Amino acid sequence: MRHQIATLMRFELRDELRGGEVGLVVVPFAVVALLTIPMAVGIDTPLLERIGPGIYWSIIMLFGVLVTQRQSSATPPAARDMLRLAGVDPAARFAATTLATFLLLLAFEIGAGLATVALYSPTLDSWWPLVALLPLAAAGLAMIGTIAGNIVSGLETRTSLVALIVVPIAVPLLLGAAQATEGLRVGAGILRWVLLLAIVDVVLAVAGVLTARPLEESPR
Amino acid sequence: MKARPLDLAAIGTLLTAFVAGLVVPPDAVQGDLQRIMYVHVPSAWLAYLSFTVTLIGSVAYLRTRSLRWDRLAGASAEVGVVFTGLALATGMIWGKPVWGVWWTWDARLVLTAVMFFIYLGYLALRRSFDDPELRASRSAVLGVIAVLQIPIVHFSVTWWRGLHQPPTVLRPDNPQIDSPLLFALLMSVAAFTVLFAALVSRRSNLAAMQDAAGESESADPTAGAAITPPTVGGTS
Repeated sequence: MRHQIATLMRFELRDELRGGEVGLVVVPFAVVALLTIPMAVGIDTPLLERIGPGIYWSIIMLFGVLVTQRQSSATPPAARDMLRLAGVDPAARFAATTLATFLLLLAFEIGAGLATVALYSPTLDSWWPLVALLPLAAAGLAMIGTIAGNIVSGLETRTSLVALIVVPIAVPLLLGAAQATEGLRVGAGILRWVLLLAIVDVVLAVAGVLTARPLEESPR
Repeated sequence: MKARPLDLAAIGTLLTAFVAGLVVPPDAVQGDLQRIMYVHVPSAWLAYLSFTVTLIGSVAYLRTRSLRWDRLAGASAEVGVVFTGLALATGMIWGKPVWGVWWTWDARLVLTAVMFFIYLGYLALRRSFDDPELRASRSAVLGVIAVLQIPIVHFSVTWWRGLHQPPTVLRPDNPQIDSPLLFALLMSVAAFTVLFAALVSRRSNLAAMQDAAGESESADPTAGAAITPPTVGGTS
């Protein structure tokens, strides 16, 4: 199983490196969004410092959907059939796509985070908790995106439909990550928000593994 | 269309609840504005009930693979979205004169709005499939995951914000509502519940007919179906 996961994940990441959809399209698009928001709300530096972290997490959630639905995560029906015939466990496919998406989302979070620091100059009491926050949020979003991607696979309306499915379900992730960062900004406790993110991740991991087979077995 | 006992029961209880809601005295503080509670509270109750039925239907489909359960889940979600929208709208109409704003970032309001959009996505997904089996399996998975997320959304938004009026009726020690108003409220909850059952039953039957019509359509010969590849020496 571990070998299957590692092979499939490498395949997806290699495909993404060749296409460069996340690095060359989604990240620049997110930076453009970070640039345009001050133009809409006004150039009030203290205000931008205060709302910068919240805007960052909104951008991560909304543009993260694009990362989860990149072309390299969409397995064509023929390839799926081949993997099924080769005896690849559906849970392994779920784990591989989730891990590949997780790594890409983490890179996306770091890239957008650097842009946020440069553009909004947020001040946090402590930066090291981000080492836990960023991966927890990325893992949750990666799992929701992978499950939703499997649900809508093969549909013509895949890209638009998946956004409507993922974003409302990802609300606890947004609240957990944004409130924890706000806690870091004002020096308040963040433990409950980190726990919330961890619980969401565990629930999604269990749901993703349990629903992998029914989705795999659904007719196409 | 022939009226069934469930339809007649829904009409009867709705009329009774309507009359009860009009004849009970107005609230001492809010006046007649409080009467919106007789629509708002049952609508919110149906929102939770319908999404629970959707979960039951989705799990039952995944276990049995019977389309009957999928149709129940879909019908319940459709009715649920309508009543969730009604709960939001009536809440906003009540909120403007009482809170001074149409919308406020209260935990239960946000939760209800998130639920509304989760199930709009669920219905949009269902509409995207022509094949009933494919629709059933994919939407059952989303139905389960969506409901699993609702308690988490509930806790997260409650931690985030808490402004909504605390429970008024479900206080075992001392319900903070007069008996005539409580009677009218319970009457409307019962009426809306019967209406929900009638609507879900009707919608499930309609979905069964739609599926049957789709199957018979796909069984019909299509233009060009009679044209087959040429065969040479008995092989194609």
